[in-house]
Amino acid sequence: MLDIRQVYKAYATPQGPLRVLAGVDLRLAAGESLALMGESGSGKSTLLHLAAGLDLPDHGEVRLDGRAISSLSEPRRARLRRERLGLVFQQFHLVPSLDVLDNLRLQARLAGRESPDWTARLVARLGLAGRERHYPEQLSGGQQQRLAIGRALAPRPALLLADEPTGNLDETTAGEVLRLLLELVREAGSALLMVTHSPVVAAPLDRRLRLSHGRLGEAPP
Amino acid sequence: MSPLGVALATLLSHYRRHPGQLALLLLGLWVAGALWSGVQAINASARDSYARAEALFDADLDRLTPADSRPLDHEDFVTLRRAGLPVSPIVEGEVTAAGGERLTVIGIDPLTLPGDSALASPGAESGLEAFLTPPWRTRLAPETLAALGLSRQAAGGATPRLAGGRRLPPLAPSAALPPATLVMDIAVATQLLGRGDGLSRLVVPAGALAAAPPGYDLERAEQRLAPGELTASFHLSLTAMALLALIVGLFIVQAALGLALEQRLSLLRTLRALGVPGRTLIGLLALELALLGLVGALAGIASGVGLARALLPDVAATLSSLYGAEVGRTLQLPWHYWLGGLGVTLGGLFLAGSGVLWRAARLPVLGLGQAQAWRAGYQRQLGRQALAGAASALLALGLWAWLATRPPGEGLVAAFGLVAALLLAGALWLPPLLAAGLAGLGRWMHRRPLVQWALADLQLQLPRLALAMMALLIALSANLGVGSMVGGFRLTFLDWLDQRLVADLYLRPTPARFDEIDAWLAGRPEVAERLATASGETTLLAIGDAETPRQPVALFGITPGDTLKPGWPLKATLAGREAAWRALTGGAAFVNEQLAIARGIVPGDRLTLAAPDGGERLRVVAIYPDYGNPQGEVLLATPQLRHRFQAASGSLGIVLADGEAARPLASALRTRFDLDTTALRDQRQVKRVATDIFERTFAITRALNALTLAVAALALLASLLALARERRRQLAPLWALGVPRGRLVAVQLAQLGMAALATGLLALPLGLAVSACLVGSINVAAFGWRLPLHVFPGGMLLTLATALGAALLAGGLPSLALWRTPPRALLAEEAP
Repeated sequence: MLDIRQVYKAYATPQGPLRVLAGVDLRLAAGESLALMGESGSGKSTLLHLAAGLDLPDHGEVRLDGRAISSLSEPRRARLRRERLGLVFQQFHLVPSLDVLDNLRLQARLAGRESPDWTARLVARLGLAGRERHYPEQLSGGQQQRLAIGRALAPRPALLLADEPTGNLDETTAGEVLRLLLELVREAGSALLMVTHSPVVAAPLDRRLRLSHGRLGEAPP
Repeated sequence: MSPLGVALATLLSHYRRHPGQLALLLLGLWVAGALWSGVQAINASARDSYARAEALFDADLDRLTPADSRPLDHEDFVTLRRAGLPVSPIVEGEVTAAGGERLTVIGIDPLTLPGDSALASPGAESGLEAFLTPPWRTRLAPETLAALGLSRQAAGGATPRLAGGRRLPPLAPSAALPPATLVMDIAVATQLLGRGDGLSRLVVPAGALAAAPPGYDLERAEQRLAPGELTASFHLSLTAMALLALIVGLFIVQAALGLALEQRLSLLRTLRALGVPGRTLIGLLALELALLGLVGALAGIASGVGLARALLPDVAATLSSLYGAEVGRTLQLPWHYWLGGLGVTLGGLFLAGSGVLWRAARLPVLGLGQAQAWRAGYQRQLGRQALAGAASALLALGLWAWLATRPPGEGLVAAFGLVAALLLAGALWLPPLLAAGLAGLGRWMHRRPLVQWALADLQLQLPRLALAMMALLIALSANLGVGSMVGGFRLTFLDWLDQRLVADLYLRPTPARFDEIDAWLAGRPEVAERLATASGETTLLAIGDAETPRQPVALFGITPGDTLKPGWPLKATLAGREAAWRALTGGAAFVNEQLAIARGIVPGDRLTLAAPDGGERLRVVAIYPDYGNPQGEVLLATPQLRHRFQAASGSLGIVLADGEAARPLASALRTRFDLDTTALRDQRQVKRVATDIFERTFAITRALNALTLAVAALALLASLLALARERRRQLAPLWALGVPRGRLVAVQLAQLGMAALATGLLALPLGLAVSACLVGSINVAAFGWRLPLHVFPGGMLLTLATALGAALLAGGLPSLALWRTPPRALLAEEAP
């Protein structure tokens, strides 16, 4: 499903180019879950952005469903994201002017794949029943993150990319959100690539990889 | 809903949560559209009136005038017709309606008039036979009915009375005629005007004669100035003021768009991440702009029509008093007016929005959510703005230098360009100057933490407030400039009236009784001096030995006695005032400033004017100001004028001996000579009428200026309201650190007051420069006279007070909201 081969990425800084990824190889099968671990600044989010087509590698290839993302135009990459991917951000990035229900349905509607049954189920599973007409600012942090997860899963994406989805939450809430995330991913039949620095969060996933000095290696279980 | 619709609805949902921004956007578009289209509606209606007047008088008729300038009479018509020439007679004069409005009467002979002339078409409701036979018909434009005190329903066949008691033939409205004009058969018109055998002119179809018959001059239709040409400068001035209002309105729009986009950066990033392509997002933002633009522009155009309806009577009065051009009091809007208004407002909107769209299109997807990235370029932008301001100032300097080399009265468009460049330079320099001033003050105030914080905070607010401040600066400068010009004009005009209206009573006898009344007054002991005037029309044939294009000029005769001479203003003389007056009595001439500027006449020149005995050569010994007169005028001593040009007698000014009252003499005159109320007026009445005309003349200028200023104040208010919530979040930590809410409110008002005061201070020199351009270049080109530049310290103080008032008023509402917010809520707002 996701095939990353020999990817290099560097950023220009006043002190010269800063190499973030140096020949990264990664494969993720359909329905599989993978935790991408590493220290702050190790390039985890960069790799996630490359996987989402939000950024392009300097060298190497990122393939999704066999298609090379790097060779696609920006509109085609946007279409791919819309139709095949779901994204969950650490900062939630909910739309403040839309209520809970509209936020939840947003990506499914953009992808043209809204399912009322699945949406209703998501609302119930996310514990947001009765809050459908509330706005994001009226929700707690945990509720906002659950809503962000629901939004990403509403179109049942082939691949869910999650960037520190529990990074902004307390331990108890983080645990609840993570359990819910994994259950819903399974129910949706999606693959999951999750960036995290926490071994506790990474533990329940099928595989764990660690990014260090621009290269990937197996992380301890 | 399609994915595109979902994305658009998501973008628009921002306004549901921020209705203030939507209101701000629509407000900007609405006022910009209303003021622009209001003025264009006035211009379109005026052009419609001119078009009808031109069709009536000039489109297809050449004129024949006697080469020796003697009056035309019926004999000329008969002789020329017998010689086989297709001439037609016209009689023209003025009558006064019962309500006091002056109307032009045109008498025609439809049987000899060229058939395709607008004059000749008898109109649907009045056939040729009815027009030619008793009780005849009076054709007039529907909007003229109001002057006769009639409604449109009651008009057909009515025979309203005129001021003297005579009745008009039955009315027949015709939309093709210009306003304030009555057209009737020549026989009735002659009787109504008391003309006897006299004719006003003889006309022939355009191009029908290859050359003038012997003893006559042929004036081609295309040689005459049409009313539209005469008033072009006035309409250009109106358009310039409307453009100013449009620009101020668009400043609001740009401020609102910038704010709306900045607050949606995170939303844009999210939508991009969710798979909406960047180009689609820009397209959707443009579509949003178009949708909002359409709503705002349509509301603006509809309001503009209302505004035009309210202002049109004053504009019509102005055009009538300044240019003698009659404009209908009802709006006539062609189809292209609506499209034009929509086009200009939407075009302006896209111009204002293009910068915002361009910036949005260039932002990288991963940096979109960071407001810092958005603001990072502001310092660079300030530098670029300062450079652009310098370029604009250089352009202004260049235009000023070019105008200085041109003859007076030329370069109207360049003069407006100069004003625009000055205002633009000031506006562009304002934010860099404010930023530099704040940085300097911040360093100076480093020992006072709250003040230092307030200065630093104001610097952070500057990117969002700059546009509103720029709009305020432009409005204040234009207001001060135009206010100084109008104030200076008012002072000059009132002085000029005092100097010219020196008699206690003004009498306008009929020509037949002029000498009899004059002789009676000569025998009255209470009369110290009689100031007889005379008037006529002639043609300027040559200046010096060089023939010039023939130009009709007015002739006016005055009595240069002891009362009139000392105060009569002269702008330039050949050899001093005393010598000029002596020369006038001896047969020399003065010319008014308009004519002198238009034809480059200076004291010492000799003019050749058409006169009954051939050309009269007159030496010009002085130039005098003649405000409000649309025509070039040559002034002579009354006896000279009556003798050399056989001019008709005019009014009689009566100067009373010391201690004598006007009322007994006025009653004696009325009783003895059976004078009607309009024939005798006292000085105060005449001054009041003249001053009323002046005030109406500038009513529209004041109205547009005040509206522009109000719009700028609204822009500031709207910007502050839009920022209010975010401001409260920024102020919350200060409250938490122990600064009381009252102090925070005071700091907020002080910040705004300081920025406004700085804006007001910059508006002072800018406003004076605008005023200098107006009196030095634009007025000369538009009206033909030059005014002294007056500086009004009171007006300058008012400008500063207006700036402060607008800012404090605008800051008042958000401050009140802050004052009312419970401290806990402040922190709660700060939390996310």
